[in-house]
Amino acid sequence: MTHNLIRKLLIIGLCSLFSAAATAQTFIFTAIPDEDETKLVERFRGIADYLSEELDADVKYIPVKSYAAAVSAFRNNQVQLAWFGGLSGVQARSLVPGSQAIAQGTEDQAFYVYFIAHESTGLDRQDSLPEDVRGKTFTFGSKGSTSGRLIPEYHIRETFGEAPEDVFSRVGYSGNHTRTLRLVESGTYEVGAMNFAVWEKELENGNIDTDAVKVIWKTPGFPNYQWSIRGDVDENYGEGFTGRVREALLSLDDPELLESFPRSDFIPASNDDYEPIRKVAKEIGIID
Amino acid sequence: MAGFDLSGLTASFGGERVIGPLTLKVKEGDQVALVGKSGAGKSTLIRLIHQRVDGQSSLVPQELGLVNALPVFHNVFMGQLDKHATWYNTVTLVRPFKQDRKQVLELLDALRMSEKLWIPTASLSGGQRQRVAIARALYRNAPVLLADEPISALDGPMAHHVMQLLRDRFKTSVIALHDVEMAMKYCNRIVGIQNGQVALDEPTDQLAAADIMSLY
Amino acid sequence: MLSYPTVRTSLIFLAIALVGLLFADIAITANNPWRDLGNFFLGVLTPNFFSSEGLLTALLRTVAFAFVGVTVGGVCGFFLALVYRFLPVRVFCAFIRAIHELFWALIFLQFFGFHPLTGVLAIAIPYSGIFAKVYSEILEEADPEPGRLLPPGTGTIAAFLYTRIPDCWVQLRTYTAYRLECGLRSSAILGFVGLPTLGFYLETSFSQGMYSDAGAMLILFYVLIATIPLWVRPKLLPVYIVGAPFFLGDGLPIVWGNVERFFTEDIVPSPLRDGEGLAGLLPWLNELMIEQALPGIWNTVVLTQIALVATGILTLLAFPLISNHFGGPIRRTSGHIFLVIARSTPEYILAYILLQLWGPSMLPAVVALALHNGGIIGHLIGRQTNTIRLRSDAPKGFNRYSWELVPRIYRSFLAFLFYRWEIIMRETAILGILGIYTLGFYVDSAIQSIRFDQAMVLILITAMLNIGVDILGRYIRRKLALQTMPTC
Repeated sequence: MTHNLIRKLLIIGLCSLFSAAATAQTFIFTAIPDEDETKLVERFRGIADYLSEELDADVKYIPVKSYAAAVSAFRNNQVQLAWFGGLSGVQARSLVPGSQAIAQGTEDQAFYVYFIAHESTGLDRQDSLPEDVRGKTFTFGSKGSTSGRLIPEYHIRETFGEAPEDVFSRVGYSGNHTRTLRLVESGTYEVGAMNFAVWEKELENGNIDTDAVKVIWKTPGFPNYQWSIRGDVDENYGEGFTGRVREALLSLDDPELLESFPRSDFIPASNDDYEPIRKVAKEIGIID
Repeated sequence: MAGFDLSGLTASFGGERVIGPLTLKVKEGDQVALVGKSGAGKSTLIRLIHQRVDGQSSLVPQELGLVNALPVFHNVFMGQLDKHATWYNTVTLVRPFKQDRKQVLELLDALRMSEKLWIPTASLSGGQRQRVAIARALYRNAPVLLADEPISALDGPMAHHVMQLLRDRFKTSVIALHDVEMAMKYCNRIVGIQNGQVALDEPTDQLAAADIMSLY
Repeated sequence: MLSYPTVRTSLIFLAIALVGLLFADIAITANNPWRDLGNFFLGVLTPNFFSSEGLLTALLRTVAFAFVGVTVGGVCGFFLALVYRFLPVRVFCAFIRAIHELFWALIFLQFFGFHPLTGVLAIAIPYSGIFAKVYSEILEEADPEPGRLLPPGTGTIAAFLYTRIPDCWVQLRTYTAYRLECGLRSSAILGFVGLPTLGFYLETSFSQGMYSDAGAMLILFYVLIATIPLWVRPKLLPVYIVGAPFFLGDGLPIVWGNVERFFTEDIVPSPLRDGEGLAGLLPWLNELMIEQALPGIWNTVVLTQIALVATGILTLLAFPLISNHFGGPIRRTSGHIFLVIARSTPEYILAYILLQLWGPSMLPAVVALALHNGGIIGHLIGRQTNTIRLRSDAPKGFNRYSWELVPRIYRSFLAFLFYRWEIIMRETAILGILGIYTLGFYVDSAIQSIRFDQAMVLILITAMLNIGVDILGRYIRRKLALQTMPTC
């Protein structure tokens, strides 16, 4: 009797191990972890609820711990939709034939990076990257970030003609933009580069000690975040699904949800919009 | 095979010869006592014979060779592992069969320790452990008994009881003993070992204790 | 004193570490490290157990992954142990255990994604290698005599079951239970790369400065480990083993095409993939070696040597804390608590915490490695001193420490230290993921830029380095005739 039960349990256990969640056609999406996770989970659970309703389908958000994990999940078809940065989007779409960028925030057409500095450096805001940052300690955001890594590295190389490791006395990767802000604010690093939208939002919410940290340079604009979707979604979720997802995103007008990004609204995007990012990444050697 | 005829028995330890070359012929019905000073090579000789007869013997080595973590039953049962299929032995490890339990219990009864059947051998006294090794040899039931000081840890009456039992159960045997009186009482042939050679080999009834003492 | 080989060896390693310090990047870069540390301890003292809805689930998953991983690893390791005498098996086992759980997890994440199998295999594979080695050592020490006495014709399996297993049973059980504790630690840190265990939430709350939440998780983790003897009972084990697979969570479904792609495309060096052939391979390897592997190896070795000596020093300072030969019961109790916390906290978590508080450099890594490993060895040595009987007129205080105890435990102290040398190096490499420039940093960078071919070469190099140190450590232990029981 007991043996029978144990055997049954074992079989069920093994089956569930190998076929877990393969049942329902849940539409799953993820997002690059560019900010504090609590905020991301709150924001994207809202998006999941919104999409569920609009698409009349089961939509789920899963948080990941790294940019690469987001790209891999998209590539491996474990998520079908993702909120990528410029660079991660380019990487992901090059790995998944037929995938496309479908929507971006209005702000993402011309996105900016802020170079920020701790007050002890005595640096002030300038129109170009200050020469004085040489020899300071410096932190990027995540290794795979566009505004936390790619664009700042590009400008550092442009300005100094050297790799960041040779320009600064210490180079680190904080992990995300919120942490870059906190690390420079506390003086752990003297200089950092971060997403301007995160800075503005934190500033607005009164979360920045402006006596301790200030913006020293704003980069020229570049295309950034976008929603990317896999090419085989129509095949697996029904004809015209991609179009419906795009429509749903473009018609998102819940001010609270938009504010959480923060974006004023979403507009159509295409793969070609991100060609400049691809070129820069190739130039720096981040992609082959 | 009941008796054996072994020649050219030799053993060396650290480059030095401790036994032989010697020849030992044992006929069926010979109950041989190996006597001699400690260090004369009795244990080595027992071991050599065990190798030469290809394990076709019940062996009681001096160090007993018990699996301490197993109960008495299993240590005795190991004497007949070759008689059963692997599955049978494996099941026995977890839950012994009735007929085996009965047989082993009878043996232990004869050795006056039946109450210890399920006790791990690690928790037994020296004398009890020695009797478990003897029980295993009895259970093995080979045509020849090879025993190395099988009663060294037993008290007087028990020693006599065990020697009697061994004499009754094994028609042919080679037993190393340091107790000359025991040797004379329970064996029909005495082989004396001195410096790795046979120094004496006579039927018991033609010997007196004094003849043997010359070996010591 | 210098004529003692143990003393000479110690001094050589001390000298190497001191030279290493000249090259190492040791600094506290945070502006206010003590305030942050204070905030952290305040958080631990004011734990918030109700912060995250997922906390209990995470705890459950941590236990489930540990059980399934250790069980699978134990079974495979046992069978490998039976054929461990064959050289190819030994090499294979050395190789799979030279790669850290987190590296395995990072590899499986690329094709199994967030499926429970990723976490299970990440624990099971390196543990199989370790189990195989230790089990075979234990089995070899079984008394051979009963086996020789078996009647000829006894089946191999029956002989094994009757004469080997019972003799080793207690040791096998003790070691397996001990590994389960290690498995809980491994399982917890898998969360740092995204699996649904404790590390996932710990990382989240820590990086956001929510120290009370992080404190609660750490406390729960300590309680979980400290109460193992209470809830891991032989009778309950089958229940846990059968039940654990149900609590791994669903994760995301495996797409098998990804597995094939990973092995046939992703990890093929890019020059070969792009058809440049062998001519392109050499420059590719050359660049990888010079720009990533060599700096990574250098930093890994330097950090390992410093951490090894720091561990040794901390051990010698810490063992009196729990030794019966010093102090009263209050001191010993607090000493026990300190050592339990030090050794229960995975070095990865310790390093993560200290990095957050002190800023990036090798210092947090050294302190974390020394605390964790010193905690383990200090505990073992302290216990060992309790078996030493001192004469009743033995000296007291520091003289007792330096004349009576240290000389007696020094050899086993060195044995443990050299045994853990390879483990320290494995951890050092993995700490690179946190931003210290050891091999793990370059592996992580390669994965972050979706260059699995480079990542695999770097992981292979890391494994080779570990195997090399393992061989060297064993050589030194043999030369000095040091013996020890395995630790994890």
